Amino acid sequence: MKALARSGRVLAAVAVLGWLAGCAELAPPQPWEKGNLAKPEMTMGSDPLDQGFTQHIYSSKENASGGYGVGGGGCGCN
Amino acid sequence: MTRPNRSAKKSALKATPKNAAVPKRGMSSIVIAALALPGVWSPAAHAENAPEAGVISFKFLHYKEDKREGVDYSQFKKDGHPITVNSPSVYVMAPLGPSWAVEATGVYDALSGASPRYHSTGGASVMSDERKAVDLKVTHYRERSSYSLGVSHSSEHDYVSKALSFGASFSSEDNNTTLNIGLGHSNDSINATDGGVSGDIYGKRKKTNEFMVGVTQAMSAYDIAQLNLTYSAGKGYYSDPYKYFDNRPDKRQQLALLGRWNHHFEGDGSTLRGSYRIYHDNFRINAHTLQLEWVKKATPDLSLTPLLRLYSQSAASFYLDPVYDANDNPIGYDPNDPTQLVSTDQRLSAFGAVTLGLKAEYRIDPKWSIDGKYEKYEQRSNWRIGGQGSPGLGSFGATFIQLGASYKF
Repeated sequence: MKALARSGRVLAAVAVLGWLAGCAELAPPQPWEKGNLAKPEMTMGSDPLDQGFTQHIYSSKENASGGYGVGGGGCGCN
Repeated sequence: MTRPNRSAKKSALKATPKNAAVPKRGMSSIVIAALALPGVWSPAAHAENAPEAGVISFKFLHYKEDKREGVDYSQFKKDGHPITVNSPSVYVMAPLGPSWAVEATGVYDALSGASPRYHSTGGASVMSDERKAVDLKVTHYRERSSYSLGVSHSSEHDYVSKALSFGASFSSEDNNTTLNIGLGHSNDSINATDGGVSGDIYGKRKKTNEFMVGVTQAMSAYDIAQLNLTYSAGKGYYSDPYKYFDNRPDKRQQLALLGRWNHHFEGDGSTLRGSYRIYHDNFRINAHTLQLEWVKKATPDLSLTPLLRLYSQSAASFYLDPVYDANDNPIGYDPNDPTQLVSTDQRLSAFGAVTLGLKAEYRIDPKWSIDGKYEKYEQRSNWRIGGQGSPGLGSFGATFIQLGASYKF
């Protein structure tokens, strides 16, 4: 049952992403079609201080970390 | 029982190929631009071309925990309040010629307040500490690839961490697909104030190797997606020296799979940013993180971004619930077995958490911009998704505030 619940959650997440994808026809863009993709809000990390701060908090108050990069220094956050 | 000093506009969409003669950076950088990540090595925020302009950003960060039920803060003459952190920080990115760039970040954290020594309220003690962290990254750009080397150093009076990282990115011929790899190594040393609760926690070490592989794909003219897999393997001292009943494994393996998808709406020009992360480690903790942000332009120069983050984790296999025997030891704890793996740290319990936030960014002119962000975080056992939360724990809440300014040069 646990595995089923876990799979359900993953599927739910995929569904959310799928819904996002469904908002537009998916076809890799031509070079002249990339104007929107260049906008700052379309980048994955346009504010490094913001991301560094929030990831630091979450990794000190929750158990999970990772996925965003490698090599950040640790801390004795208690 | 107190611990002193522990301290582009969318017009390009229907352009003809002829109009595609946009500066190379603007076009070829799309995929890698989507990869900017926190951490010393994160895929470059710019393409294989070095950035043409630099940026310097300042932020003041404020973090404050809510009062915990059951903790008498008035018992402490100094720092008798929930944990509070004030943290000024600076980030600089500067191009060095046509194919190099350097990035640096400096952070100073000033922390004070009272924190529990076990479970959510037990034996609270006060602390004050400061943390200084710097990192430096140099990136070399080639036609379809980039290579970065980074170092970082973080120091508290009882904890020092040094890290080294290497990253590389390789783009496809059409620049729609980028492969990223990253390697990191960190070396931490721990010297607890007064040796911690056991009095002998000095000279402890922790070494960690990290690996990352990721792919970023421009899915359409409106969509960009990313999938990152990170694996971390470390050995050394993982216990919390300031908590009672805390003896954790001396090895830790963590696996995280992060998927991110950004979608731009042509109609109103807003952007929806979604991410989902699934996590597993050898403490037998499974965790799920879902985040949604909606970037909406209120005026041409002002954008507002509400955000929602949902988090859920299971408990560590050696976590003990707050049920105590006649000797005030948690049920299941064997005081005669020093090798027993055990923890009463609330962060290793089963819980769920919700963050609600709002960010505002205002562009004063082409060079200057300012921003502010407010987030409210709440952690509760009964908010765990897909299972029971750990019983007997109080809720935990905190507020995050950021104020920043940024200048392009």
